[in-house]
Amino acid sequence: MTSKATRRLLGSGLGLALIGGAVLALLPARDSVTVATPALVLIVPGIVAGFVGGRVVGALMAMLSAVVLDVVFIEPYGRLDVHVTDDLVSLAAFIAVAVSVAALVERVNDRRRAAEQRAEEILALSEEKERFRREQERLSVEKQALERIEDARRALLRSVSHDLRTPLATIQAITSDLRDGTVYDPDTRKELLDLVGDEAERLDRLVANLLSMSRIEAGALHPDIQAVALDELVTDRAQRLARVLRDVRLDASIPPDLPLVDADYTLLDQVLTNLIENAVRHTPPGDAILVEARIAGAMVEVAVSDHGAGVPAAERAQVFEPFWRGDESRSSGLGLAICKAVVEAHGGRITVADAEDGVGARFAFTVPIHQATVEPARERTP
Amino acid sequence: MSPTASPGPGSAPGRDGDGADAIVLVVDDEPPIIRALSAALTARGYRPTIATNGEGALAAATQQTPAAIILDLGLPDIDGIEVLRRIRDWSDVPVIVLTAEGAEDRKIRALDDGADDYVTKPFSTPELLARLRVALRHRRAADPAAEPLEEPVLAVGDLRIDVPHRMVEVDGRSVDLTPKEFAFLTLLARHAGKVLTHRMILQEVWGPEYGTESEYLRVYASQLRKKLQDDPARPRLITEPGVGYRLVDRDL
Repeated sequence: MTSKATRRLLGSGLGLALIGGAVLALLPARDSVTVATPALVLIVPGIVAGFVGGRVVGALMAMLSAVVLDVVFIEPYGRLDVHVTDDLVSLAAFIAVAVSVAALVERVNDRRRAAEQRAEEILALSEEKERFRREQERLSVEKQALERIEDARRALLRSVSHDLRTPLATIQAITSDLRDGTVYDPDTRKELLDLVGDEAERLDRLVANLLSMSRIEAGALHPDIQAVALDELVTDRAQRLARVLRDVRLDASIPPDLPLVDADYTLLDQVLTNLIENAVRHTPPGDAILVEARIAGAMVEVAVSDHGAGVPAAERAQVFEPFWRGDESRSSGLGLAICKAVVEAHGGRITVADAEDGVGARFAFTVPIHQATVEPARERTP
Repeated sequence: MSPTASPGPGSAPGRDGDGADAIVLVVDDEPPIIRALSAALTARGYRPTIATNGEGALAAATQQTPAAIILDLGLPDIDGIEVLRRIRDWSDVPVIVLTAEGAEDRKIRALDDGADDYVTKPFSTPELLARLRVALRHRRAADPAAEPLEEPVLAVGDLRIDVPHRMVEVDGRSVDLTPKEFAFLTLLARHAGKVLTHRMILQEVWGPEYGTESEYLRVYASQLRKKLQDDPARPRLITEPGVGYRLVDRDL
C-alpha cells in the first residue's frame, strides 16, 4: 500500500519535472519549430509518470501535458484555446499512450508479483511437506515401538496361557479319568497321582515367576537382604525339586568354608530354582547337572551347568530377555529374565558360557559376601 | 513309559469290540500328558505308542500302522496340521486332533484337512476316549469293500432314514422334511458321531460354490431339531460352536 502511494507521488513528481523541463527547453525555440516537436516531447512525461506511478498518474500527467501543449506551444500562446478536433485528438493520444504504458507496466508487475507469490507458496508447501515427512517418520517410529510392545504383550499372553494350560491339561486328563472310575494297578495309580502333584507344583512355580515378573516390571522388586547359607539353600531346593530331578542327578560342589552371602532368601531360591529347572530341561535322562559355588573377590559365584545343547554365542545376550525362548517351547521365557533382574537387584551379575569347550551351558551369577562386621546394626531375620 | 500288560479286563470300556487291542498313536510334546493318555489307553485295552514330534509321528504312522492317531497340533518341529496332511496323503486312519482353547480356525482347518474329530485342551479323558471309539467304529464300518457310498437305510438311535424313499422316521413316527433338510440330515447321519464343519456341510448340500454361509445352517439346524422333536437338554443334532454340527445317538 505504502509503496503504491510512494510510486504515485514519485510518478507525479517525475511527470511534473519532465513537463517543466520540456517547457523550459522548448520555450525559446517555440517559434522556430512546428507544433509536432513539443507535442512529441510532451508525450514523454505521461509515459514516464505512467511507468512509475501507474495508470491514474499517467493519465493525469498526459492531460496536464495536453493543456501545457495548448497553452504554451499553440497559438495564441498564454491561453487555453480549445480547437475541438486537434486538441481532443492530442489529449486522447497523450492519455492513451500513457495509460497503455502504465497498463503494460502494471500487468508485468502483477505477473512478477504473482510469480514471486507462487514461488513463496511453493517454498512454503515444500517446507510443509518436509514437516509432514518428518512427522510421518516420527509416527512410524512410534508405531513400530508400539507394535513391538504389542508383540511382546501378545507373546507373553501366548506363552503364559500355554504354560498355564499345559499342566492343567495333564491334571484334568488324569482327574477326569480317575473320576470316571477307571481301575488302575497301585503303581500306575500312584504314578498318575504323582503326575498331578508334579504338574500342580509346576503351576505353582510358574505363578511365582509371573508374580516376580510383574513386580520387576512395576519396579517393585526390593530384596529383603539377610545372611544366607548357600549350602543350606541348595540342599533344601534340591529336595523340593526331587520330582523334577527324578531322571537327572544333581551334583553339588559347595566348599564347607564358603562364607554367607547377603541376599533375599526367597528371591535367591527362585534364581536357583529357575536355573536348575532350565538345566534339567536341557539334560537327557540319566545325566547330571552340577551346582557349584566359589569365592570371586568380594562376591560368591554360583554356577549351574548342564551337558545339553548349550547357548550359541549369538544368543547369549538374548536368553536373559523377557519372553525369549529357545528352540524348545517348554520354557515360559520368564525364568532367566527373572534371574537377571534378581541378581542385578543384589548388585551381582549373571552370565552364560559353555560348560566345557563347546558342550553344555554354564549359568553363573554373583552375590555379595555377607559383611557381618561392617554393618553390625543391620536387622536380621534368622 | 512302557505300555506293559493291560490291567484287569473289568476296567475296559473298549471291551465291546470298539477296537480294543488296537494300536493308538499318541503324538504330543508334553511327557506328562503322554504318560496320562498312555495309562488311560492301556487301562482300556488299547496299545498306545508314542511320538513327541512331527517327524516321529510320521515315522510311527508308517511303521506301526496304528488303528487311530491322537495328534496334538502344537508340535515343536512340524505343524500338526502339516503332519495330518502328510498322513492323509496315503492313509485314512482316524485322526483326533488336540488343540489349545481359542484356536477355532485351527480346529476347522484340521477338520477340513481330514481330521475325524477334535478335542480341546484341557480335555476330559472319558470324552476323548468316547470320540476315539466313534472314530474307530466309523473306520471299521467304512472299511470292508472300500466305502459303500450309498447305504440305503441309515439308523442313528431311534432315528431312521430311508434314503432311496426319502423317508425319515423318529421312534416309528414319520417326519416330513424339505429336500435341503433331508440332505443335511442324511449327511450328518452318514457321519454319525463325527463333527462336520460348516464348509463341508454347505459344499455337500448346497454345492461347491458355497462355504461361508453358515447362517443357512443355523436356520436348517433349528428347523430339523423342531421336526425331530429334539430335547433341548439332550439334542441329537449338536452345535459345535464356531465349528460345525454333529449328529449323535442319544442312547449311547
